Amino acid sequence: MDDFMSGDEDYYDSDHSESDLDSPDIIENDEADVQWAPPKGSSTKVITKESLLAAQKEDLRRVMDLLSLREHHARTLLIHHRWDVEKLLAVLVEKGKASLFSDAGVTVNEDTGSSLSFSSEVMCDICMEEVSADTATKMDCGHCFCNECWTGHFIVKINEGQSRRIRCMAHKCNAICDEAIVRNLVSKKHPDLAEKFDRFLLESYIEDNKMVKWCPSTPHCGNAIRVEEDEFCEVECACGLQFCFSCLSEAHSPCSCWMWELWAKKCRDESETVNWITVHTKPCPKCHKPVEKNGGCNLVSCICGQAFCWLCGGATGRDHTWSRITGHSCGRYKEDKANKTERAKRDLYRYMHYHNRYKAHTDSFKLESKLKETILEKVSISEERESRLRDFSWVTNGLCRLFRSRRVLSYSYPFAFYMFGDELFRDEMDLQEREIKQHLFEDQQQQLEANVEKLSKNLEEPFDQYPDDKVMEIRMQVINLSVITDNLCKKMYECIENDLLGCLQLGTHNIAPYKSKGIERASELSTCWTTKPNTADNCLPLDCGTSGGSSEHDRPSGSGSSDDSGCFSRKRPRKEGFGGGFFDLNLPAEVIDRN
Amino acid sequence: MVDFGRVQKELQECSRDMEASGIKIAPVSDNLVHLSGTIPGPIGTPYEGGTFHLDIKLPDGYPFEPPKMHFVTKVWHPNISSQSGAICLDILKDQWSPALTLKTALLSVQALLSAPEPDDPQDAVVAQQYLRDYQTFQGTARYWTESFAKTSSLGVEEKVQKLMEMGFPESLVRSALEAVGGDENMALEKLCSS
Repeated sequence: MDDFMSGDEDYYDSDHSESDLDSPDIIENDEADVQWAPPKGSSTKVITKESLLAAQKEDLRRVMDLLSLREHHARTLLIHHRWDVEKLLAVLVEKGKASLFSDAGVTVNEDTGSSLSFSSEVMCDICMEEVSADTATKMDCGHCFCNECWTGHFIVKINEGQSRRIRCMAHKCNAICDEAIVRNLVSKKHPDLAEKFDRFLLESYIEDNKMVKWCPSTPHCGNAIRVEEDEFCEVECACGLQFCFSCLSEAHSPCSCWMWELWAKKCRDESETVNWITVHTKPCPKCHKPVEKNGGCNLVSCICGQAFCWLCGGATGRDHTWSRITGHSCGRYKEDKANKTERAKRDLYRYMHYHNRYKAHTDSFKLESKLKETILEKVSISEERESRLRDFSWVTNGLCRLFRSRRVLSYSYPFAFYMFGDELFRDEMDLQEREIKQHLFEDQQQQLEANVEKLSKNLEEPFDQYPDDKVMEIRMQVINLSVITDNLCKKMYECIENDLLGCLQLGTHNIAPYKSKGIERASELSTCWTTKPNTADNCLPLDCGTSGGSSEHDRPSGSGSSDDSGCFSRKRPRKEGFGGGFFDLNLPAEVIDRN
Repeated sequence: MVDFGRVQKELQECSRDMEASGIKIAPVSDNLVHLSGTIPGPIGTPYEGGTFHLDIKLPDGYPFEPPKMHFVTKVWHPNISSQSGAICLDILKDQWSPALTLKTALLSVQALLSAPEPDDPQDAVVAQQYLRDYQTFQGTARYWTESFAKTSSLGVEEKVQKLMEMGFPESLVRSALEAVGGDENMALEKLCSS
């Protein structure tokens, strides 16, 4: 977002750029290359089945340290507060520890020793039997029942889908049962159910947490995505699916989620067409086909031969005068009907205007992969040629920019449709204000469109057959146009966020911020965590943020255990290269930032 | 599986202080999953003097799952369906605890009779009447108690006679009538199912 501020001085309009091309040193190719480096330490993370445990460690650890709690108590608190640590802390400050604990059903028992030892027999109030003390279990809340009954209770609750909130069996006891006891007792009888319990508990981090969502891929890839600060963003899952984190549909910025939902529905229903048909046609009273009046008087005849009155739709005879139709008479032509027709027609044309442009760009990017193939073919031909030109990264970079800009352009049409239409913001702007803003936006849109098309045209040049100097020229054009379209996209988002959506009284529209590098690919979490709280926190080397590579070896010694083999397994080795690949959840945020 | 040991103990315990609580529980079938409960209408309410019968079915998970109860006797009450006898009571649903028993559950139902909660109604018609026209509500509830919850005017000997005429042996008829608190229809049901 900060980058947006610098947008002004880099701004070129289309006329400008033509002349700029003559001086090749304006744009360093290096700069363009840097642009395409994968994002450093992306703020979105893929949570796989394997890293699910590691993902929640940071939150657990914070709560455990702050309140000196054991892990299961911290988890109970976090589940109760839907994994919102800030909210949990606010409750702590506002209501105090005792209330925080009792509301969430946490009872911290100071005397952890077995207090059952004083007698060898206990009465279980559930089965109403005397049982020996060693087959009974006392929960933290102090209620003691026999293991058999506890197990029965746990099984029923797990099967009810209540794993995350299994309460004590005593009437009106709000305490949540110790997960270790649940796990231990249930696994003796039903190991598969104990596994289910563990999974439910772990998946609470995804399902009860607004910063984490399942990837919406079908068939489901099994991953979830965690975002750091902003829910309004677009991400790419490890499975390759790009989506809007906020509404889980396709990435649609600069359209807001609400606009996109309306637009998608509109396109699906083709409601305008239906609208048009209802207004412009009337069903024949005999064969019920819709009939359109193509001029002439109000006596209409259907292709089936039936004559009817256009005004009331009733069947009539065939003879007529200027004021009367045989066998029929109905009221006068009504004014409001004319308005209705006019309006429906106008709405339809308006929709068609935006839809056609939206569709044209969408269709273009549907052909992306094909275009990419043909262009990359040209690159490989060029590379084999005897030439002083070796580096063709500008082609792929230009292609990426083209695809990205096209997407922005395509979704900017449904945005404009709603932004300057009557449906959503009729009362937000007066007509004059709307007109001014619409012109402002359309100017930007037009500029972007022109440059995108130019970029596209340049990339489609048969540069593999051109002499070197001509290729150099195309290269300059592509690099220049890439920068221009990038800036124009940036400006368009800025304009939408600040001048258009930002002015609205009803703050219900948010868009994902513009990312010059395209939709961020969520990075994977490392999974080098043991379930036990380790004591190595304090002895972390302070300088471990200096290089991504070396910090991998600086893992806390306490975590060295058998699950090491699963650590740092990366499905995509290309990510090794840049810093911040290792994201240590143990480190305070400022150390990670330095990374 | 239902913990029958516990159900057996619950029944014993309940019959021990039947005098004090007025609450009766008797098995309808041999296998103890189908029972019938009886509660006296609380004093000082329109239900006073009535005897209310409930049908109790124990789910497989009992006591870890709540027993399923509904009124057999027709009742006019905001939280009890006047049609089906279904009861809206939290401890019979999500607030059930295995530490509760059939007797405590029936005591809670009895308490519900004295303290209706019209804001969380099972029967909207009754609840509206309760809120808008309390007098009429009381009248209707009392009338229903008179009509449906009072033991029939027949004496015990007449009931025994009637049931014996249907072909049941006298000893069984007497014990059945005793078990269900003198209700002729319940006794018949019990006799037929045994």
